[in-house]
Amino acid sequence: MSATCSFDGCTVDETGICALSRDPSTCGNRVANAVTDEISDDSVIDSAVVSQPSDLLGAPVLVQPVHTSALASSRSLGLEELNALMSTRYVNVVGILGEPESGKTACLASLYLLVSHAMLEGWSFADSRSLVAFEDIARGARDWNDGIVPEQMTAHTELADDHRPGFLHLRLIRLSDGRRVDLALPDVPGEWTQALVTTARSDRLGFMRSAEKIWIVLDGRTLADIEKRQGLIARVGQLAGRLKTMLDGRIPQLLIVVTHRDLHIVSEDIAMRLKREILRRGANADIVDVAPFSDRSDEIPAGFGIAKLIDMTVGKPVDRPIFWPSSEPVEGDRAYLSYRRGQ
Amino acid sequence: MTRSIILLGGPDSGKTNYIGRLWRALDDETGALHAAEQPEDINFVLEITDHLFEGGFAPRSEHSDARRDFEVVVAAKKDGPRSRVVVPDVSGELWRNAVIDNEIAPDWMNELKRADAALLFVRVCSDQDVRPLDWVTSRHMLEKTGNVEDQGLPTQVMLCELIHFLEDSLAKREDGGLPRLSVVIAAWDLVDDNMFEQGPKAYLQREYPLVAGRLTDLEALDVQVFGLSVVGGDLKHDEVYRQAFLEAGMDGKGWVAVSDGDRWRKDPDVTLPIAWAVGL
Repeated sequence: MSATCSFDGCTVDETGICALSRDPSTCGNRVANAVTDEISDDSVIDSAVVSQPSDLLGAPVLVQPVHTSALASSRSLGLEELNALMSTRYVNVVGILGEPESGKTACLASLYLLVSHAMLEGWSFADSRSLVAFEDIARGARDWNDGIVPEQMTAHTELADDHRPGFLHLRLIRLSDGRRVDLALPDVPGEWTQALVTTARSDRLGFMRSAEKIWIVLDGRTLADIEKRQGLIARVGQLAGRLKTMLDGRIPQLLIVVTHRDLHIVSEDIAMRLKREILRRGANADIVDVAPFSDRSDEIPAGFGIAKLIDMTVGKPVDRPIFWPSSEPVEGDRAYLSYRRGQ
Repeated sequence: MTRSIILLGGPDSGKTNYIGRLWRALDDETGALHAAEQPEDINFVLEITDHLFEGGFAPRSEHSDARRDFEVVVAAKKDGPRSRVVVPDVSGELWRNAVIDNEIAPDWMNELKRADAALLFVRVCSDQDVRPLDWVTSRHMLEKTGNVEDQGLPTQVMLCELIHFLEDSLAKREDGGLPRLSVVIAAWDLVDDNMFEQGPKAYLQREYPLVAGRLTDLEALDVQVFGLSVVGGDLKHDEVYRQAFLEAGMDGKGWVAVSDGDRWRKDPDVTLPIAWAVGL
C-alpha cells in the first residue's frame, strides 16, 4: 500500500502505470481520487500531479459531515426540560414507583394507546411533548415472539444515563369541565424502587418531592399468590417508610395500582392490609385495579381502570361557589319597602 | 413582499396535485386569489397539470429527489396588494424523515423560519396511511397472526410532530398576527354524505384523534380546516366521471369544503386554503 493508493502493491507511484490495468485518474483505490473529488468536483485531475504525495498536504483528512438543523425533540424529557416546561405552565408531576416487572411501563403504554384511539373515558388528548417516547414505549410492548405473549408485558426500561429519569409529557382535557391538565409521568427502571426499599438510595428520585400523587405499581399476580403476597405487602410498608424519610414526613396521596385485573381481583382483606400498612407510616392510600393489557378482553377490556387512575391522579373537580350569584328581582317583591317595614 | 408558504404532509398526501390545480385556478382569475403576473418558471406546474388534463394524478414526488419550487406573485384584487408566494414542493418522505430523525437540512429550516403560513395535507384513504398501534383491542387477533410487522411511525404521530415543528419555527405575520395553518383534507370527495356534513374536523377526530386534539390546543398558530377535492371526483375508479372530466376540462372542476358556521358546503374556489393562509 502506498501513500496515494489503498491497494497493496500499487505501482502507479513508481512507474505511472497501474498493475491492474486501470486508469489511475478514476481508480477507486486511489486515495488521491477520493479526497480530491470531495474537495472540488470540477477540477480536472492530472494523474501525474495528483500522485505527488505533497499535494495531499493541507487537504481535509475527513469528509465534512452534512449539517442538519435539530428540531424540537419529542423523546422523553430530562429534568431540565421538565423544569422549563414547569416554568411556563402548571405541570402535575406524578411519582411512579414499582419493582421491576410490576407493570409500570405497561400502564404508560396502555395509557398512550387509549389516548391515541380516543378511548380514555372522560378525557381527550391536547398535546404531548414526548409523543415519540410514548410511541417507543408502546412499540417495545409489541415485541412478541411468534405471537406468544411473553410473561413480561413490556421491554425492560433501560436508560442510557442511569442517573436521569425520563419524563413523559401528556396534556389532557377533562371533558366534564374542560380543564387542561399537564401530566409529567416518569419512566424509570424498577431497580430504582428496589434500591430505595433495600438500601435507602433516594438521590435519583429527587423529583418525587414535586409529585402530587405517587403511584405504587404492584403486580396483581404476586398479590394473588398466597405464598408471595405477605412479602409484597411488607415491602410496600417499607417503601412507605422510605418515602416518609425522603419526603420529610409529608407523603402525598398514594395510589396503589394493582395490575392484572383481568386475572385477579384484589380481595377486601388484602386491600385492608395494604392500607393499614401504609397508614402506619402516616400516609393515605387508595387502591386502583387496572388491566393495561387483558387476557380476557371480552370481560375486562385492555386498558381497564386506566381512566379511573387518571381521574384519581388529577383529583375531583372542585365545587366552586357561584362567583356572582344571580339576584334577579322576584316579581312583586319590594326589598326596600320590606326593609323599612321591618324597622 | 416575498413570503414563503410551506406545504407539509406525509407521503401520498396530495400536495403536488394541489399545486397543479392551484396554478390553474390562479391563472383562471376566478378565485379569491389570482396570479398577478405569469411566473417565469412554470415547467413544474405544467408537468403536473398535464397529468391532470390526461385524467390522472401526478405520480408521487418520492421518485424525484430534487426540490421543486413554484413561485408566483398573487393578488386578491386587481391592482391590490401583491405578495410573492413561494411554494416549495418536496416529497413527503422528507417530512417523515424529519420527524423520525428529529432533524432537517438547514435550508429547509430557513424555509420554515421564513414562512408565516403553512398548509398541512392529509389524504382520505391513502394507502400510505399508518394506523396507530392497536394491540390493546385486537390482541387476540395478533396472537394468531404471529410476528407483527412494524409499520413505522403512525400518521397521526407524524402529523402532530409536524405541527410542533411549525409552532416552533414559523414567523409571525407582518401585521403581528399569529402564523396561519390551513389543514387540508385532500380527496374529500371520497367521504360519504354523512361524513361530509359532519365536516373535516369530525373526520380528523375519528381517524386521527391526536391531531384533532392538537388542533384544539394551538396557542402559537391560527388554524382552519378545509376539505379539498382537486378535480371534483374520482378519476381513478369512476370511469363515468373521468370521461366527463376529459370532455369538459379541468376548469370549474374541483372544490373546497368550507364551513358556513354550522354547515359545510362546497365552494368551487380551490384557492381558498392558500388565500386564507396568505391573508391578503
